[in-house]
Amino acid sequence: MEENNNNIFEPRIIAFVCNWCTYAGADLTGTSRIKYATNVEIVRFPCTGRIDFMLLLKAFAGGADGIIISGCHPNDCHYTSGNFHARRRWMVFRDMLDFMGIDIERIRWSWVSAAEGAKWADVVNDTVGKIREMGPYTEYKKAAKFLEEEKIIHE
Amino acid sequence: MSKIGVFICHCGENISATVDCERVAKSASEMEGVAFATDYKYMCSDPGQSLIKNAIREYHLDGVVVGSCSPRMHEPTFRRACSEAGLNPYLCEIANLREHVSWVHEKSEATTLKAIDIVKGVVEKVRRNKPLNAIEVPITKKALVIGGGIAGIQASLDIANCGQKVILIEKGPSIGGHMSQLSETFPTLDCSQCILTPRMVEVAQHPNITLYTYAELEKLDGFIGNFKATIRLKAKSVDYNKCTGCGLCTTKCPQKKIPSEFNEGLGTRTAIFTPFPQAVPNKPAIDKEHCNYYQKGKCKVCQKFCPTGAIEYDKPDEFITEDIGAVIVTTGFNVLKTDFFPEYGYGKYKDVITGLQFERLASASGPTLGEIRRPSDGQIPKKIVFISCCGSRDPAKGIPYCSKICCMYTAKHAMLYQHKVHDGESTIFYMDVRAGGKNYEEFVRRAVEEDHVNYVRGRVARVYEKNGKLIVKGVDTLLGAKPVEIEADMVVLATAGVANKGAEELAQKMHISYDPYHFFAEAHPKLKPVETNTAGIFLAGACQAPKDIPETVASASGAAVKAVSLLSQPTLVREPIVAVVNRCAPPMFSTCVGCFMCETICPYNAIEHEEIKDRRTGKVIKTVAKINPGLCQGCGTCVSFCRSKSIDIQGYTNEEMFAEVTALLNK
Amino acid sequence: MSKLSEKAATLLSEGTVKMIIGYEQGTERPRPAFCHKPEDCERLIFNDQCSNNLAVYLTKKEIIGEDKVGVVGNYYVIKTVIQLNRENQINLQNLVVMTVDGDDIITFGSIDEMQQYVDTHEPVPNEKVLAVIEKIDKMSRSERWDYWKSELSKCVRCYACRAACPLCYCNRCVTEVNCPQWIEPWAAPLSNMEWQINRVMHMSGRCVGCGECAAACPLELPIGILTKKMGMDIKNTFGGWKDGSVLSTYNVNDKENFIK
Repeated sequence: MEENNNNIFEPRIIAFVCNWCTYAGADLTGTSRIKYATNVEIVRFPCTGRIDFMLLLKAFAGGADGIIISGCHPNDCHYTSGNFHARRRWMVFRDMLDFMGIDIERIRWSWVSAAEGAKWADVVNDTVGKIREMGPYTEYKKAAKFLEEEKIIHE
Repeated sequence: MSKIGVFICHCGENISATVDCERVAKSASEMEGVAFATDYKYMCSDPGQSLIKNAIREYHLDGVVVGSCSPRMHEPTFRRACSEAGLNPYLCEIANLREHVSWVHEKSEATTLKAIDIVKGVVEKVRRNKPLNAIEVPITKKALVIGGGIAGIQASLDIANCGQKVILIEKGPSIGGHMSQLSETFPTLDCSQCILTPRMVEVAQHPNITLYTYAELEKLDGFIGNFKATIRLKAKSVDYNKCTGCGLCTTKCPQKKIPSEFNEGLGTRTAIFTPFPQAVPNKPAIDKEHCNYYQKGKCKVCQKFCPTGAIEYDKPDEFITEDIGAVIVTTGFNVLKTDFFPEYGYGKYKDVITGLQFERLASASGPTLGEIRRPSDGQIPKKIVFISCCGSRDPAKGIPYCSKICCMYTAKHAMLYQHKVHDGESTIFYMDVRAGGKNYEEFVRRAVEEDHVNYVRGRVARVYEKNGKLIVKGVDTLLGAKPVEIEADMVVLATAGVANKGAEELAQKMHISYDPYHFFAEAHPKLKPVETNTAGIFLAGACQAPKDIPETVASASGAAVKAVSLLSQPTLVREPIVAVVNRCAPPMFSTCVGCFMCETICPYNAIEHEEIKDRRTGKVIKTVAKINPGLCQGCGTCVSFCRSKSIDIQGYTNEEMFAEVTALLNK
Repeated sequence: MSKLSEKAATLLSEGTVKMIIGYEQGTERPRPAFCHKPEDCERLIFNDQCSNNLAVYLTKKEIIGEDKVGVVGNYYVIKTVIQLNRENQINLQNLVVMTVDGDDIITFGSIDEMQQYVDTHEPVPNEKVLAVIEKIDKMSRSERWDYWKSELSKCVRCYACRAACPLCYCNRCVTEVNCPQWIEPWAAPLSNMEWQINRVMHMSGRCVGCGECAAACPLELPIGILTKKMGMDIKNTFGGWKDGSVLSTYNVNDKENFIK
């Protein structure tokens, strides 16, 4: 889905969401029939605390142009503290990625509760719009396909 | 090679209107590991379920993906169907094609492609799913009720009368709560204590209820059916086994000028005290902060006079731990004090009081024995002003909500005043009168029509003192915002009902959520009003939001039934979504290196130490982590923290999630 | 015989310990020394050049065996011992931890004493490392990406950085997990990067800053600045962290500005 008929770039975005808040919130977006862009595909996790930072890197390596991470608001975690742990993890991770030149603007972090169906649609549309503007994450994809693209040089 | 069956539901037209279901099924049939794929109008219907069951048998499926509505809707349905056909239910997963696709997108190529992608992701996950078995855990047949107000009393009695054991803990020296402070109750004007005290006594005498007063929850570990509560029994300095409750000590105590909490500061009490005459238990405790002995090291008057030698100083607080199956939180509320209101004198005018203080003035057991006398000089106020919505419904004061009880009690206060001071004049400043409830509106009308209470619609801007009078300046919005000024003898503020002090701390101890105002959050505002998001913990009364007595009692009975229905089950069946620390062949035994940094991650203290020993010598080879499946609730935070990937979580394993994410992207 | 050698020899001859791990003069710079007999101890030296983080041996059973050992280490060794103890990786009963301060040999009686030493003897930061960090910080994002991609594409995945790190003690490293294959095992720019990101994330709040990872790198890749920068970021974000790991704990009041 790189480009559609009108030559508008259609980004691929993976959303990593917690089961109790954002997944339910996205369900509410559905029951409220609020429309949003098709570019985001949701993966359900029990808690934001479960989201391994490596999965984010794998999503980029697999060709994602953007990522959404969303879970329960602070103090709302179904497991009390999973989102607090996740928040710390992302604070460190984000600084690290930025220092290494990985484009953290392509990762959208959000808290969307089970009651915020409309917010979920906003988060998706907003992210899709932003990533569309940024264009495909070519440099990362190129690095991921290093072995395919690199020519073997015989000396 | 796996044999996955993919079943795409049209959901009538809910999915098929925007998603080409046939095409999704056809694409699915071409996916690796898929043995069978089809689409059907209503997959959740009987014929739909039979379709799945038959396919499982016919194609020997070892996994099922249903592309349908949200798993929150029909995951249990389809898992049951799989189970009936002999497939482990946890090998069945849902691809959410309705809420996450068809309902949120227009009909288009992209929508169908997204549906195919999602199915592919779930297929890849299911290919790696392992059969799991539900976990059965025993239930401790005992409930803990926190807070001995009317909610706690009602809940305890209801549970106890169902034949279950209850532990009721109360922070103060007596049960009874705010209801015991009230004079008469709306809309019937029956005496609050007359209807409450028999129940208090019943609690104390009930064989199934263990009552701990002067006690607080210190810690709550565990999970539904198997909590472990640590309770702090604050030292009362009185041995209740010896004390007969004669009350001699309270008459002899030299500290007599302590403001009484029960009388909302309008009366005094001694340092060794029972809060009120009908207290349960009717035995005194020493308030260490005001006791001469504890503060200055000498006095011991109470000990000298005690005929049974029950006074025991310097005894430390005791801690007990109790196994608990269910918890009901009934910690109640409080009202804002007058000092919260700069416009009404910051609480410095003695004759500006709160509604709760007025209750004490109007109560026959109160400091004025039921006569309405103003606190400053004991005169009977001839002109009294009641101001409702003090703080409530005022976002500027940080309290946008309605405290719900004020309209009614203010009407009652004015009525009681008129009954007691026949030549008195009462005015109520109100914003709206909210009298929803059986006989409530009639009650308010009675105040207006029979007792001639003067209702003025408008806000009071200021109250200030002038020549011994309280000048109340407000507007009457029904008369075109005409300024109103009343010279009053006394002003009663219907201050907002707020969460009790320490509510936030308590919520955190119990891992339950709370709203921005520190009221505890119910699991669902309509369908689960007495449940919390933490299984096994229930709410009743005003700790959830301000409530009047009938509502509080109703919610207490509701919470009690929830607790009883839990406690009366033989065992508890839980989803096997739990974390597991791997085990492997010697000499490694587990890839866990035993750093135990996951211990602080776990909110349920589910991570235990396991010593792996040499079978012959018994020598400890290695200490590794082990997760107690009874305690683990399956958040998986430890899984993504573990550096060596030694922990995995059933149902959301590293392999499964990795496969799902990569499959979504691979074209 | 130096005071250090005497002390070490005494510990061995009295049978207090079975081995002393310290530093001896190597061809170019000091290197780790393992003394089993009192006479071995004559080789022991201690000076500013002694940079190896000897604590790396303390988790290796094949080196220290089951017996009590002594270690004469620098600041970072002491700091690492504290961290290893927090992580249940060493048995303090079987360990004598020493350092040299001027003419004195300090033998630590407890973790508290070590902590006190560490708190009061913080070495001056390495200016060169700080300069590189500053240089990278000033780059644009795509320049940073190019810098790291080109630097890390040289990596041959020898894992010397892992071997030299006293806190990389896992029996099975994440790079060896193949179900799923989190990090591809061959040397390629992206998997090399992923390995370094994992290393840094796993070190967050734990890294003692000894710089042994970078010193061990045969290609002299600037990997030490990754952990250094992470340490600086964590200090900025969370203030000091005393408990040895930022990621296994949390604070309700943690402040971020990117979750919306």
